[in-house]
Amino acid sequence: MTALVRAEWTKLFTTRVWLGLLLGACLLVTGFAVLFTTFAGNPEAGLPPVGTAAYEQVALATASQVVVLFLILGVIGMTQEYRHRTATPTFLTTPTRGRVVAAKLVGYALAAVPFAVVVLAVNVAVVTVHAGARGAAPTLSGDNLRVLVTSGLALVVYAVIGVGLGALLRSQVGAIVGGLVYLYVVEPIIRSIPVTAPAYKWLPGGGLEALTATLQAENLDLLAPWQGGLLLLGYGLVAALLGTLLAVRRDVV
Amino acid sequence: MRVEVSGLTKSFGPVRAVSDLSFTVEPGSVTGFLGPNGAGKTTTLRMVLGLERPDAGTATFDGATYRSLRQPVRTVGAVLETAFHPARSGRDHLRVYCRAASLPVSRADDALAQVGLSDAGRRKAGGYSLGMRQRLALATALLGNPSVLVLDEPANGLDPEGIHWLRGFLRHLAHDQGRTVLVSSHLLSEMEQTADRVVIVGAGRLVREGSIAELRAGAAGASTVLVRSPDSGRLAEMLRTEGHETTEHADGLLSVAAATPAAVGSRAFAAGIELHELRAETSGLEELYFHLTAGQEQFAATDEDTVMTAEAGR
Repeated sequence: MTALVRAEWTKLFTTRVWLGLLLGACLLVTGFAVLFTTFAGNPEAGLPPVGTAAYEQVALATASQVVVLFLILGVIGMTQEYRHRTATPTFLTTPTRGRVVAAKLVGYALAAVPFAVVVLAVNVAVVTVHAGARGAAPTLSGDNLRVLVTSGLALVVYAVIGVGLGALLRSQVGAIVGGLVYLYVVEPIIRSIPVTAPAYKWLPGGGLEALTATLQAENLDLLAPWQGGLLLLGYGLVAALLGTLLAVRRDVV
Repeated sequence: MRVEVSGLTKSFGPVRAVSDLSFTVEPGSVTGFLGPNGAGKTTTLRMVLGLERPDAGTATFDGATYRSLRQPVRTVGAVLETAFHPARSGRDHLRVYCRAASLPVSRADDALAQVGLSDAGRRKAGGYSLGMRQRLALATALLGNPSVLVLDEPANGLDPEGIHWLRGFLRHLAHDQGRTVLVSSHLLSEMEQTADRVVIVGAGRLVREGSIAELRAGAAGASTVLVRSPDSGRLAEMLRTEGHETTEHADGLLSVAAATPAAVGSRAFAAGIELHELRAETSGLEELYFHLTAGQEQFAATDEDTVMTAEAGR
């Protein structure tokens, strides 16, 4: 299995996809952090002012806004085998296809850790400088630290979900478009309709909000952070398992 | 290592791609897997390599199926597709599979050198020509130094020099190194010069298995002869009365079915007919191959007859 995980890393780092997605995530995090800090305390924006615990948690949970890029990283990692038809040599080398999927889950989870650390570092740097300039840089302790770390964890778990989604759908475009539509269209609708809203806390978006819950989320009906994290991980692993059983084992044509 | 295919059968919906196909591939020789496009060659090879599940039958390497091999790439090297991640260099592509198979990554450079691709190894595979892709696919198959090689149409896209190189390379792997080489093609002319034995399939069924020499011997006398004579009318009439089917072409050329140049020449000489040209239109083997595999739908409908014809020619 170690050999297969290393093979996945070789695949990952011999094209530039990871670099593009990591830079994109850093840029987005910078953008969000600057926006949050700029409009902090602005009554029309509804953001708490700089210096409050509420502001600091929102600003340090910015990474949870860019989970979609880590989702895409995982999706590409799985679906490139089909898109570029390298599934054939991959499955010739490792005829037990479930091991390939498992290696990708482990490989992408581990690779996502340093990527997430980079994104968090950018987030902290931007917030420290910008909020510092506006009066009070947040300290990295207590709930601030918890929100920061859980946001990083969310990035890692979304990479795992991406691998699972890719295994299930096999189509790169389908998995990415499907993921985006689900996260940005379907879930917000479920969340806002009173009849379906109670189900939201069991969905990936609800799990993400629970995992990275800030003071602002207090009035929402959510799971505990650790439950949210486990729920998300469960979604990723179930998708990967179903994908292995239903899709990956199918003949590669 | 001996490859044994036994009763392989596979249908895609109502289409039966491979039907009760059995043959063996022996070590130390190049076996050509011949058949027209759509005859089920690729499907058969994919089943042999455990990429597709057969509806029935087995394919084994010294008794073990591909999926049960402990280190498949060290036993069997395969070229099925020449598709690579376009942004990854050929060398990196090979290193991925070195890692996955727990081979030293230096094998990537060895394999590149073996197929003459060392200079292009660090370039992105997306910029490779078709011939270079074929070589890279072959290098992938060679990584594990396998005792069996299974290659699907490896000559596609190669230039004449590449084909000449491939021919020598495959024969070297089989004859000098004792490996088992199974190589598919839809071109008999390619196989005639590469393979020691051929397995011919049509419409998913085995139509012939044997050495090139056996086939050639069986095919003698089945050729069409082209003959040109200033007196072609008399010649045609004479041949017709002897039961030959003749066709006169616009340019004065006469084609005589099921004859040999020697027989036609000797008849013309005896009758005192002057000849300006006398040759076999196709080699007997080519004629046989064409006959065995022509018109697949028709072939599928009357395959009893064709098998009998093939038996008769043996």
